[in-house]
Formats: sequence, structure tokens, C-alpha cells
Amino acid sequence: MSTVAAALPRILPALRRNALVGLTLAVVTLPQAIAFSTTLAGLPPHFGLYAAIWGVLSTALLNPARVFSGGPNTTMSAAIGVTLLPIAPPFGSDYIGYALTLILIAGVIQLLFYLIRPLGRMLDLVNEPIINGLICGIGLFLIFKSLTSFAGLPINTEVEWPLWIAWQSLQAVLEIGNLYAVQIGLITLVASLAARQFDAVRNWAILIGVAAGTAYSTYLNRVHGLSNTMIEQIGNLSSIGLVFPSLPLFNQEAMSDIILLLPGALTLALLGLFQTVAAMRRMNRKIGGFTDARKGILSDAISNCLLPFLSSLPTCASFNRMWLVYKMGGQSRLTSIASALFLLLMVLFLADFIAVIPMPAMAATIMLLGANMINWEDIKPHLQNRREAVVFTASFLSVLFLDLFGAVMVGSILAIAYSKWEQAHPNISLRGNVLKIRGNIYYGSLPIIEAAYHRAIDRLDELVIDFSECYYIDPEGIRWLATAKAGRKVGLVDRRSGEDRRIPDRREGEERRNAADTTSTERRELEDRRAGMRRRTRDRRQHTEF
Amino acid sequence: MATLPAKLLRLGVIVSVLGGLYLVALKKHAERDEIRAAAVELTPGCKAKLESYALEPGADYRSPYVLRTMGAAKGIRGYSADDVRAIQRGCNIVDDTQGQLAKDAARERWNSGRFMRGKYASCDHCHQGVGDKQDAAGNRLVGSNGLAASWVMADMYDRFTGLLLPYELRQMQCYINSSNGFKPNAADDLLRDVTAYSRFLSAALDLKIGKHYAEQGVDEIPASATLRRGDDYVRGAHLYRQKCARCHGPQGFGTEVNGKVIYPALAGPNSFTLDARMNFHRVNTVMPGFICRNMPLGEEGSLDNQSCRDIGYYISTLPRPAGDKQGPLVAAWQRLMMTVMPPLTQYAESLGGANRPALQPALQTED
Repeated sequence: MSTVAAALPRILPALRRNALVGLTLAVVTLPQAIAFSTTLAGLPPHFGLYAAIWGVLSTALLNPARVFSGGPNTTMSAAIGVTLLPIAPPFGSDYIGYALTLILIAGVIQLLFYLIRPLGRMLDLVNEPIINGLICGIGLFLIFKSLTSFAGLPINTEVEWPLWIAWQSLQAVLEIGNLYAVQIGLITLVASLAARQFDAVRNWAILIGVAAGTAYSTYLNRVHGLSNTMIEQIGNLSSIGLVFPSLPLFNQEAMSDIILLLPGALTLALLGLFQTVAAMRRMNRKIGGFTDARKGILSDAISNCLLPFLSSLPTCASFNRMWLVYKMGGQSRLTSIASALFLLLMVLFLADFIAVIPMPAMAATIMLLGANMINWEDIKPHLQNRREAVVFTASFLSVLFLDLFGAVMVGSILAIAYSKWEQAHPNISLRGNVLKIRGNIYYGSLPIIEAAYHRAIDRLDELVIDFSECYYIDPEGIRWLATAKAGRKVGLVDRRSGEDRRIPDRREGEERRNAADTTSTERRELEDRRAGMRRRTRDRRQHTEF
Repeated sequence: MATLPAKLLRLGVIVSVLGGLYLVALKKHAERDEIRAAAVELTPGCKAKLESYALEPGADYRSPYVLRTMGAAKGIRGYSADDVRAIQRGCNIVDDTQGQLAKDAARERWNSGRFMRGKYASCDHCHQGVGDKQDAAGNRLVGSNGLAASWVMADMYDRFTGLLLPYELRQMQCYINSSNGFKPNAADDLLRDVTAYSRFLSAALDLKIGKHYAEQGVDEIPASATLRRGDDYVRGAHLYRQKCARCHGPQGFGTEVNGKVIYPALAGPNSFTLDARMNFHRVNTVMPGFICRNMPLGEEGSLDNQSCRDIGYYISTLPRPAGDKQGPLVAAWQRLMMTVMPPLTQYAESLGGANRPALQPALQTED
């Protein structure tokens, strides 16, 4: 007891700071949660709120990363809307049931990504330029997407070419937008932007903007009456309680539709995992720590398997909110836990105040978040390297021209193609009669090596192929080397021809015992091949590591 | 961190851009209000239609149509001057969506051209008789896409997607599917005026809300309504030359005279898209149904079901624009097809066949 009392002065300041960050996080998450569920996912507002409460809480408890904030996510919410739109009308009971099923299937798929290790590793193939391209694209998309609710117009829910829709929406805002709504949105924007210029209230900018917009909206409704201003508000949340249990829709009738949901579920699962893994990677590097991405995958998977039973949107890492936590100096999982608890208290006890927040103000908030995601400091390094610039631009444009999944695919294919291209072009140099190969000898690089080899062997009587600096040789490469060696004009230099500096590996004790005999083993192997005999039972490591 | 002047400058730029946009919005809103208050110049078709239904501002409205058919007409609540102008504008939009008869097309038709990809499409092409097709005796025709009958089914489930669609969203379906354009916002005057007009028509014809009338929509023709010989491209092409090519052109590009579309395009850049339900390869009952009930003009009902399906099949093989959701690749491919195929087809047809029916020269074809 006394030790706790003694430690209290040291703990209290940290606790207070985390609580403040948590409170801000809760306030910032609130409009996002409602906007994502109503405007993007086509679900009632409590879905977003429960994701911001239970989703944030469960990921915070399961994920050991120091700066991590889960909860409702733009792209995942949009993916739900996009997947379900052709299947059921938004806000209906069928739609909600299908949405829960979709989330559950996505959670199970994410669990598979944890259980099947190589699948999880594949997520790491998404590199920084792709992630930043996606983030910028999503940021711009968020701004476009909020245009209609910014002006109090109905949302065009059909999925089309986003840039074209953005242009149409802008014209609609200018021509037929509700001017009261536009005024509220503008006041929110300007107030937030102005507040952001002062360091003292910088972290409160969004909150100040929402407050200003709400105040103005309340004033307008007093003067003109809600029936004349026609401003959409969050509405009554007082019916939202502690938990709202729900069941995903699984029955015989729905099966054909549920099968249609599977590609969407895969997209949803991947979108969540990509963001979680990428955000953890970025944030780990920022704060100089390391948390295994698999822990993030597991926490997301378990959360998303639980959340459909709590009427909640799926959860994944949120770039913008993690950025906020980092900027405000949050250093502990306590911030996320605090934010979930604060939000729960706000929803339970302050519902009357939340009800009058106007939708245009929230649309303005989302526009600001979108603008925040486009960060020049993050983009600049990618533009200095041509390949990174191409990958970044491709994934950025793909968000605007294709969809998110398409963008991830285009970006990954480009990035993988570039690294494959790099591997397929080993560094080959000819010094005297030594052909030195640095890189890989495999089916992709063999044509390049062969070309250099034949050019050299035409001029030289004797050639030494030095592949001591090769780190990967595939069976095809071994066969080729064997054939080259068979030409008798060729000598080989592998790592063991020089001195072997490797520390013996305990796992391969048996191999090591034969190490002295390697050259004779090799010779024997070549003879065997010449005789047309193959040894199929050899250990693969002996093929690939010389 | 930026210095204070830099911050102020940035803030100033953002605020002035936002303020500028707000001023533009004010100006555009004022313009719209002005158009809403201005007198409407009716197209000839609308003048005749609305005069025959005696549309005037007044305290109550008695429909001449009901008086004629039923012998007596009950007075219903009349239309204000604002309502009348909205109905007139709606009628104009249906009759002449692209504003080819208007002095200032963008102004008098609420920028409708923005939402249409080609220059030809008009509501009137499918919703014939300004959305209210009648024979000489004043009988409304089965499967004629009547707007009045459509309005009384105002909120109906989409047959293909199962979504509950209000009347405005059903008009958006038109913009997506049949007018190969992008859709206007659900709150746009473009949709509201057409809604007002449709609603007026239903009052003038005394149709009952929620009731299904035979002139609503297209009288679809599934394969089961034929002898199931299969739909045939060659028969379709033959019939097309005999029955359709005179007006729609040998390549289906439609007929335009002096900048006014006389007959709509069935193929090429001004036609409906691959995603349209009119496209036989997407929904194979709508186009045949439309043809059987509404084509050829003046000889409606002269084609049998199988012929209609054959013609629909043939038409859907002609090159046309990609749908909105099909992405840039399909769009580029269709663009290429629309450029390359017509000359090739023309060349192939010029090689001639002795048993080919002679084409009547089209009035004037574009493209």
C-alpha cells in the first residue's frame, strides 16, 4: 500500500497526460464513428460508436504496440457499403444482418492470415511508397466523398469513377447545395484551420471546429427553424446502451447472397490487415520500437470475430488517429483504453449534447482529416527515387481511378516487379578470365549471365566463374553451372573454394561433418549428372548454399 | 514549423479559396432561382400535350381527359404558378432532354447535357408521346413506358437489384442505364421537374396511386414467349435492314437534321451503353419488348415476338460506349470498336450480296 502511495507522484503526471490524449481521441473519434457508419457503410450510427468503444478497447488490450489506435476505419466502412449496396437496401434489417456476416467472414479470413504464416508474411510485401500512395489517395477520396454531405445533399451511392463524381458533386454543391449547410461546414473548416495555427490549442482544433459549427447550426435553427434550414443532425443517440448484442445473418435463404459477399469479405479483411501492418510499421519506426506485425494481425482478427456480435463496424489501425496520438505525445496503450472509456461515458451520459451536432460540420471534420493524410514530409522521400516515385504515383492514382483493392494490387505488383527486376539483373564483371557474378543465379537472371558467359568464352580459352558472392542459386542455376563446368574450359569458384567464414550452424551438424568432403561431393554429383543419374533425395540447402 | 507570416498566408489562401467558392455558390443559386421564376417556353410537343390537359394555375383542376372518357371530372386541388412552371419545365425536359429546341439549352434544361454522354438521347425516345403515348382514339398503349403509370408506382422495388427505389432514384437508373450518362444528384431540379410533370400526368389521366397499369414500363418478351427457335443474328440483321435502317441508319447511328435529332442512335457514341438494360446482352427481355410494342413508328405491333428478339440481338452486337462502372479499359476498347468497326462493316456491306434487300437512303447520317 505504501509503495503504491510512494509511486503515485511519479505515475500521476503520465496518467493525466494519457487521459488527456484519450479524451481528445474520444472526441475526434466520435464524429468519425458516426459519419463512417452512416455515410460510408450505410449502417446506423451506433455501429461506428461501438467500434470506437469495443473495437478500440479490444485491440488496445490485445495489441502490445505502444502507439496503436484501432476503431472504425474509412476504407473498411466504404468497403462494406460498396459490397452490400447491390445486395440489400442500406439501413434495412437484411442489410445490417449481411453487414455483420460480412464482418465475421472478414474476421475469420484475418484469423487465417494469422494461422497460415506465409500469408501473413505476404502483407509485408506492401512497401512504404504503396502505403503512402494509398494514404494520400484515401485522403483525397475522403475530401471528395464528404462534398455532398458538406452541402446537405443526398449522397450518390453508386460506385463510379471517383474523380468524375467529385467534379459532379462539386457542381451540385455550387448549384443546388443547401446554403445553410454550406455555411456551417465552412465555419467548421475555418475555425479548425485557425485553431490549428496556435500551438496551445492545436490538438483541440477539430473539437473547436465542431463546437463552432454546432453553435452556428443551433443559432440558425433558433432563427429560421429546423424545418426551414433542413440541416441534418446526428440525432438522438440516447437509446444506445452499454452493449447491443447482435447476430450475423446465416440462413438457407441468405446463402446465395452470402457467397456473393465472399470477395468483398476478402477485400475487407485485406484492407484492414494492410492498414494495421502498415500503420504499425510506420509508427514503430517513428517511435523507434518494434512490435511483431503478427500480434497486430491476431488482435485484429480476434476483434473482428467478436465485433459482429456487438453491433459494431470492423476495426483496424487508423492512420490519422495514431498520428494524432503520436503528435500529442501519447506513449502507452492507456490512451486508447482511456479513449474507449471516455467515449462510452459520453455516449451514455451526454447523448443530448451530441444529438445537435450537424452533419455538415462532421463532413468538414472528415475533409480536414483527409487533408491531414496528405503529408508532404512523407511524400517527398519517394519522389527522389525514380522507382519509388513510380510505385507511389501508381498506387495514388489507382485509388482515384480504380478502387482501394486495385490500388494495393497495382502497387504491390509494381513493387514486386521492381525487386524481381533487380534480382534478375545480377552484377556481372569480367576481370582477366574471371567472370564474377554478384547476385542471384536463378531462372530469371540466367539469360543475362549466359549472355555474358558466352561473350567471354568466345574470346577466352579458359574461364573461371566466380559465384562466391551469390546468395541464392536455384536448381536450374545448378544445372546450368554443371553444364558449363562440363565444357572443361570452365572452372568454378564458390564460397568454399576460398575460406569459409561462416560459423558452423548447430542445426546442420550432420552437414558440417561432411563439409571437408564438399568438393568431392560436388565432383561426384557432376559425374552422376553426366551419367544421367539424378539424386532426388538430397537436402535442398545443399543445392542452394555453396 | 512554419513562421507566423507563412501560417497567416496559408490560412489566408485557404480562407479566400473557400470564400471564393462560397461566392460562386451564391451566384449559381441566384441563377437557379431566377430560372425557376422565369416563364417557360414550351416545345411544340409539350404545348399540345399540356393544352390538351388544360394545365393552368388555379384553385382547382378538372382534367379534360377524365371529362371526355368518364363523362364527368371531379375537381382536385389546383396548381400554383410555381407548380405549373415546374411541370412545364419537366415536360420540356422529357420532350427535348438535350435542349435542341431551346434558345439556351443549358439554362432551360438544367444542364442536362452534362449528364448525357452522347448528343442524341432524350427521354422522349423511350417514353414516347412526351411520356404519355396514346393512339388516335386516346387509348393509352400497353408497354409504352408511360410516365404517369410509372409515377403512381412511385416507390417500387427494382426488378433487377431488388432495391427499393423512390421515383428520383428510378430516374437516376435512366441516367445510368438508358441515357448513357452520369446521374444528377437526387435533389437536382432536373429530376424534381420531371417528377412534377409525371405526377401531373397521373392526375390528368386519373390514375390511382399504387395501382399497376398496362402502359407502365416495357412489356418484356422472354424467350419463353416465342417458339424458342433461338435468337438469330442473321435474321436480326435482315429484319433490321428491312424495318429499322430507314430511320436509324444502316449502322444504327440515328438521324440528325440541322442539329436536331429525328431518330435516336442504336449504336455508336451517341447510343445507350453496354450496361444499359436496353442492351440485349445484359437484359434480354427489355429491348424486344420495347420493339414489339413501340416500333416501327406508326406500325406498332406489326413484328412478332421472335423477330423482336432477333432485332434486339442484332442491335446489341453493334459497337456502343462502355457503361459507367466498366472502367477505363473497357471504355477504351469500346471507343476503338466504335471507330474501327463502322467503316469495316460498311466496306463488307459494299461488297454486296444479290439477295440483300435494298436500303432506302437515310435522310442524313452523322458519324
